[in-house]
Amino acid sequence: MSAALHRNRTGLRRGLALLVGGLVALTAAAAQVAPATAAAPPRNGIVCTTGGPVAGQPVFDLTTRTGYIDLPDGNTAFMWGYSSGFDPFQHPGPVLCVHEGDLVTVILHNTLPDDTSMVFPGQDDVRANGVPSQPQLGGGTPAMMTSLAPGASAQGGTVTYTFTAGRAGTFLYESGTNPEKQVRMGLFGALIVRPAQGDDYAYDSADSRFDTTEEFMVLLSEIDPYQHQAVEQGKNFNLTTYKARYWLINGRGYPDSIADNYASWLPNQPYGSLATVHPKQPNETPALARYLSVGSEDYPFHPHGNNGLVIGRDGRELKNGPADLSMEKFAINIGPGQTWDVVFRWYDAEDYSPANPVTVTVPSLANQVVGTFYSGSPYLGTKEALPPGVQTLNQCGEYYIISHNHALYQITSWGVNMTGPITYMRIEPPAPNTCAS
Amino acid sequence: MSSTPTQHTPGRSALSDLRLSRRRALGLAGSAAVLATAGTWAGRVLTPDAVASPGQPANLYLAGTDGWIHLPPSPAIPPFHPDNLAPDGLTTYIFGFRNVTGMSDAQRLGQKQKAQHAAPLFWVPQYDGNPDHEFRVQLTNLGLALRPDLFDAHTLHWHGFRNVIPFFDGEPSGSVSVPAGREFTYVYRPHEPGTYMYHCHVEDVEHVHMGMTGLVFVRPSQDGNTDLYPSGRYVYNDGDGSTGFDREFAMFLSEVWAEAHWADAHIQLPEWSDYRADFALLNGRVYPDTIAPNGSVDPFNPVHAADGDLIAPAGHPELQYQPQSSLVTCNAGERVALRFSNLGFRESAMTITGIRMRVVGRDATPMRGRGGTDTSYETDTINIGPGESYDVVFTAPPKTGSGYDTYYLYNRSLTRSNNLAAGGFGGQATEIHVYAGGVPAQQYPNDWGVSA
Repeated sequence: MSAALHRNRTGLRRGLALLVGGLVALTAAAAQVAPATAAAPPRNGIVCTTGGPVAGQPVFDLTTRTGYIDLPDGNTAFMWGYSSGFDPFQHPGPVLCVHEGDLVTVILHNTLPDDTSMVFPGQDDVRANGVPSQPQLGGGTPAMMTSLAPGASAQGGTVTYTFTAGRAGTFLYESGTNPEKQVRMGLFGALIVRPAQGDDYAYDSADSRFDTTEEFMVLLSEIDPYQHQAVEQGKNFNLTTYKARYWLINGRGYPDSIADNYASWLPNQPYGSLATVHPKQPNETPALARYLSVGSEDYPFHPHGNNGLVIGRDGRELKNGPADLSMEKFAINIGPGQTWDVVFRWYDAEDYSPANPVTVTVPSLANQVVGTFYSGSPYLGTKEALPPGVQTLNQCGEYYIISHNHALYQITSWGVNMTGPITYMRIEPPAPNTCAS
Repeated sequence: MSSTPTQHTPGRSALSDLRLSRRRALGLAGSAAVLATAGTWAGRVLTPDAVASPGQPANLYLAGTDGWIHLPPSPAIPPFHPDNLAPDGLTTYIFGFRNVTGMSDAQRLGQKQKAQHAAPLFWVPQYDGNPDHEFRVQLTNLGLALRPDLFDAHTLHWHGFRNVIPFFDGEPSGSVSVPAGREFTYVYRPHEPGTYMYHCHVEDVEHVHMGMTGLVFVRPSQDGNTDLYPSGRYVYNDGDGSTGFDREFAMFLSEVWAEAHWADAHIQLPEWSDYRADFALLNGRVYPDTIAPNGSVDPFNPVHAADGDLIAPAGHPELQYQPQSSLVTCNAGERVALRFSNLGFRESAMTITGIRMRVVGRDATPMRGRGGTDTSYETDTINIGPGESYDVVFTAPPKTGSGYDTYYLYNRSLTRSNNLAAGGFGGQATEIHVYAGGVPAQQYPNDWGVSA
């Protein structure tokens, strides 16, 4: 089966390459007027797609496309996705960044063989082509819902959604048509609404301030390869047989997950999830992680080495009037469709260094198994020689502390262990360091 | 059922004499090549780093190895359960930890293939800033007797420990891990009281599911203050006695997928995305074994046989390697603290019939907002996800007369409060026995105080 499937995919890929070639030509022609552009993307952290030059009125052109993503076991999955304007297929959809109070326009262009639509959970008074966006009913008695929102018809339809981003927070956008198929095929993305208070705040309160150089997305999803195969082959899929075999973070599985944004070998999966931070003081402005789940079960995500302070959920700050209801957690167990805003900071509580050494005799490295990211030294910024034959990816004595889903069967990829939704916090040694060299 | 394939005598010294493992031999061969060509290796990496003060002896000495435990053999899950390689009375192959503190070398090495589940419960006082009071856990790796082909290392990952350096975090990629026959000492200076968990982080999905998991908690520095609560014992530094308790019980949740355990014994690999929880365990046992007596639970006063082996709880030889009871015994009116941690892969819904619990902490954090707002709440059921912990306190209901009243604590996700049997209670379930009075004080957590 797999050989035949592979040939089939290869053929489709060739076809896709031709199609993309055509689109590239179109993109070149349209480049000057593309409304949604991102500045030179950062290596790590959130890559915002912003809605053009008119302040207060961002406009996003989202085009549904098909394509393939690479999975950690060497397999590929056929996907549907949202791309910005004439951009080629990407997964997940672009991260739309707007400001509180903005009048947001999303123009959906549908190239798929199915009708599709979009919903914006957490946004009020969404309009589709100027009328309230409401569930669509089909014929029959009683009338059955066909879509959660007015949509764009297959192969060329267009619909325009507008809404005012009423409150700051982290939100999903996703397909409202047959979501059990279309969302799982990849029609989803993140919408970030920045508060009036400023881009360095998660919400409109002083204690939601974060370090804008350390803002990260943790978008969790899952894949049943048989559902994707069925869609690719135009066949029906029996949802009672649905069983996820892959779990992803920002559309990638580990170790791809810690590659840079726009890593060249992941052309369709632009978003990395490595969290590069610097060690903080206990009261220093924290980093921010925006968690989103589009899966169908709880993802108990566990960042090692620090508790996250959950300051918001589903785009609502955890406050009741003046009362602060935030909570520290070491398991961010995010449920289907939820978003959690979590600030965190790491510092070496004991300030260990060669001058303030750990109080154990460090065994000979020959008496240890040395990890891929280990520097050879317990101390931040210190690098030591490793035993012969041992490879390390450590650059400059930086620390790597893992974060991963703790329903541990979910950090596998159809038989390959220690993959899936795993990423690392990379802690840079204090400057001056040799990390850039 | 056949007997254990490999027998070990306590005096066997193969591990300590193993100076040149295969891995090491390969490493030395590589070193010769490097020296001959690039000359980049200075050789000092093969000597220990001396430190100014090597600290105190370890407070706890744990060993990682394999072993066997008992789960209800009927109904069978052929061919996976009971495992046909299991020694008589036991059913399920595990990886696990053992407490080898204070043992002679011969006793310690004799514990190969004598792992327990859940891993030894232990607790640590909140760090007071005095380095002499840091908590040191030594870890050794006794190897896997049934799978000598697996040269897996082990680590100790204290799940939830804040602001740890990778060196003491036990995540093998970012730091180091402990190969067979070696040892390593983890140093902890816990600043945050509450309930945590620990596990080996090597081949995480496998070693965790195979049983290298247990509960650890940190006692608050407020302990001893009898002004806030008469017992002077608290879950957190609450400042108002709201987390004070008279008795405490650890409730550690884990799961067994029979196929995965069988696969490790039979040199197979499971497909982890097929995961299912055939058995849901409370402190390493399923009901009604959960209400059988404790074996050796107090890690700081361990009791073992002359050869270092565990001594089975009275009347339960099959529970020799599952020493932790979950039976809650208390007197009417007492405050009882339950410390839950979940290292299974499914969310559990732990519920008590007839007693309301107050959730006072979660993930080793008191239920307080940043401004001090009390976010504790009362509930019948706590939904506890993988990798989460909850601290609850309840007040034992009134009771008069002789004997005790029984209340049930069980997983309301009902497929995990049975044992695959046609009917009846099992799995993640236990009993709470409330006496009118006369239950003596606990000597250690989960101590019954009575011989029931």
